[in-house]
Amino acid sequence: MAEEFNTDGMLDMFLFESSQLLEKLEGIILEKQDAECFDDSDINEIFRIMHTIKGSSGIMLFENITKVAHKLEDVFYYLRESRPENVPHLELVQKVLAVSDFINAELEKIRAGNKSDGDEKEIVADLDAFLKELKGEIKDQGIKLPRENKHEEPTQFYIAPVASPDSLFYRIVIHYRNDTQMSNIRAYSATYALKEIAEDLLYTPEDIISNEESSDVILSEGFYMLLQTKGSKEDILALIDSVEAEKIDIEEISAEQFGKGLAEINHEPIKPEEAAAPAAAEPAVQPVEVPQQDKSKPIVPGDYVVKSKETGKGKTLAKQQAAKQQSIISVNVEKMDALMDLIGELVISEAVVLQNPDLKVPGLELSNFQKASAQLAKITTELQETIMSMRMMPLTNVFQKMRRIVFDVSRKLGKEIELDVIGENTEVDKNIIEHISDPLMHLVRNSVDHGIEENADDRVAAGKPAKGTITLEAKNEGGKVYISVKDDGKGLDKEKLYAKAKEKGLLGTKEITDFTENEIFRFITLPGFSTKEAVTEYSGRGVGMDVVVKNIQGIGGRLEIASEKGEGSEMTLIIPLTLAIVNGIVVKVGSSSFVIATSSVKEFVRLSKDAIVTEPSGEEYIVLRGTYYPFIRLSRKYQIEDSHEDIEDGIIVILEHEGKQICILIDGLVQEQEIVVKPIPPYVKKVRGLSGCTQLGDGSIALILDIAGLIEDEERS
Amino acid sequence: MAEEQKEELLEEDAQKGKFMTFQTGKEFFGISISYVNEIIAMQPITKIPEVEDYIKGLINLRGKIIPVIDVRVRFRMEPLEYTDRTCIIVINVKSTVIGLIVEKIAEVDTIQDDDIVPPPALGKKEKEQNKYVYGLARTGDTVKLLLDPERLIKEEDIQAIEEIQDEEE
Repeated sequence: MAEEFNTDGMLDMFLFESSQLLEKLEGIILEKQDAECFDDSDINEIFRIMHTIKGSSGIMLFENITKVAHKLEDVFYYLRESRPENVPHLELVQKVLAVSDFINAELEKIRAGNKSDGDEKEIVADLDAFLKELKGEIKDQGIKLPRENKHEEPTQFYIAPVASPDSLFYRIVIHYRNDTQMSNIRAYSATYALKEIAEDLLYTPEDIISNEESSDVILSEGFYMLLQTKGSKEDILALIDSVEAEKIDIEEISAEQFGKGLAEINHEPIKPEEAAAPAAAEPAVQPVEVPQQDKSKPIVPGDYVVKSKETGKGKTLAKQQAAKQQSIISVNVEKMDALMDLIGELVISEAVVLQNPDLKVPGLELSNFQKASAQLAKITTELQETIMSMRMMPLTNVFQKMRRIVFDVSRKLGKEIELDVIGENTEVDKNIIEHISDPLMHLVRNSVDHGIEENADDRVAAGKPAKGTITLEAKNEGGKVYISVKDDGKGLDKEKLYAKAKEKGLLGTKEITDFTENEIFRFITLPGFSTKEAVTEYSGRGVGMDVVVKNIQGIGGRLEIASEKGEGSEMTLIIPLTLAIVNGIVVKVGSSSFVIATSSVKEFVRLSKDAIVTEPSGEEYIVLRGTYYPFIRLSRKYQIEDSHEDIEDGIIVILEHEGKQICILIDGLVQEQEIVVKPIPPYVKKVRGLSGCTQLGDGSIALILDIAGLIEDEERS
Repeated sequence: MAEEQKEELLEEDAQKGKFMTFQTGKEFFGISISYVNEIIAMQPITKIPEVEDYIKGLINLRGKIIPVIDVRVRFRMEPLEYTDRTCIIVINVKSTVIGLIVEKIAEVDTIQDDDIVPPPALGKKEKEQNKYVYGLARTGDTVKLLLDPERLIKEEDIQAIEEIQDEEE
């Protein structure tokens, strides 16, 4: 049945808008989760969100979503209208989250191309019961029941004309921007919104919902409405969604003009003297005399009743939003990626030009060229930074998810936990955001589950506040993003960790004194390690920290663990700002070029032969200032001929990754430059120790060394 | 609409039966022209360590990095020195772009379907050797071995890739 309307554009728009609204909803809810109650603006906002979702899902014919949204809208309508006291706030929060989850799950199904078949009955019944309970309380207190918020099927609606002496008549013309998609739906939502204050409403084109082509008419001619209302111009403006509107004209007209309908009034300008005519002739315009509605009068089915005065609150909100509107366009990610690739090519081409071998002819006068090329380099760098910044997204959404997790898990476990969020506006490359969400979720869960003490009494006994605190912090420092999850719980217990690791057979025969504190903390990242005796629903399944570490390494980041027994622990994810372009040092081994990420180079040294220690097995170590480092000759590892065998001829590079060091021997340094990372074509099987390739200034290809892989490889052998 | 289809057909017709033939050693090979993107001169090749010997490395094709394989080594023949005439045929097989290093490009030949005979299957060993050759064609005074590029780059390579992926999982 949904097929008639389900053009892809509409569906996409619906999914996009609904998800955004739900995100906003969760934001409001979680912000206020610990407050006493929602304040007016929140209630209005939630009401509006549900109202919009109800409307759009109705248009898209997803009935289950419509029903659930409608029910929640009812609840908030009631809250808004009668302002009951003693609302069980926590219960309300959970109900809203349940609805948001339900709708999210349905949206997910729709997105995956499945039928939205979730059963709404349970939630609806639940909300019904909740609403009754609320009303029951009110009744007991002898407060007058508000009128019910009637659900209108989202089809063409008819508003019973209500005449009153102070009614005003307006002609409204909305011009949408030329590129507006689904302007017919926008127009419909405008009529839907105006219904709240309308006593009578006419519009043209009339078939905005059933006829897709009407959107073209609306775009070219504008959308005309005639409205009879008690509200003011401002009220109308506030209600109309002005996101895509280029121009909204509202003119006051006379009752006669209103009576003539749209056919005549459409394109004729309204004469001021006519507009000034008093509303005296009004009864003549009204086809039927409708008795004045008394506020206490019970509602008649079919009437859509929202008191126009109440819209005032919504108005201020909508206004603020309109003010916040920035000129934002949405761009397909693929296009961004393509642009990113092109700029990558440009960076390479620039290097090709500026390092062209033709320039190396001795005796060339190049000062003008140098100036021009410096300018070019400046522009390409700026271009690169701009595209990078375009791909940056704030961590707000990710952090919001974490709020939700802390909320859910802490309630289930019966722990009182407060989540502090710092720096949620820190921006990270879009690709990276996708990759850190899951690891971060795991860390937060761990903190709630393992970090904070089971018992509030234990906390008090340790001199800490009964309520646990988890701090989620993000900051941007030196080209890296630090995201830390800190709890003020019991901290990691070194002895326990050691005992556990030993018991699991992960350590061999090494004593506890053989490990530094950091190394012991690191045990929790070993596969199959979990200190929690009982497996809970949320963590302690033994998969987890190792997966976190793997995921983070996958995007070139690392995990740092700090902990003080009894004081709490802090897990910090350190990730690069971006993946595609890195600073690298080009080195030579024989005739091959390799690139090492600058960030992993600890130092370059020249050493004499006696710095090498050779084991009988042939394994070699380098001794430098009393420290032994594993030593890899790239030439031997990768069978490269014509390279230096004697370490006195070459250069030793000490590389560091996650606190582990390794030395490699190279023949020489070429230069440091920005490297556009490209994958090795999938046709070639993966080589350990190489993470990609890149094109150098002279057009040749260099392989990028994967330090983590090299170290892992070395540890294995 | 109809015209477009016609054009498409014509284009297909123009490619049908056309084979890019090349010589390596004494043998002549043919590869359907529909797979061929372009032919480029020999390029500096960046070796990749620890890969099959026939994968010679990577080349930079106008900013795109593609692997190149030596057809002779692929067929387990003695490799030859690369000369001025050595060139790279860039083929696109199901959007995998690969360069084939061949000794010498011969010409574009039209070979009718009727002239193609399947290679004689003389026991398993022969079959194994000829698995990249799906047909023989005689044109002029030479016999051309017609290659199936999909088998050439897939088959065991795909297996190898899958194995690696399994390992990783």
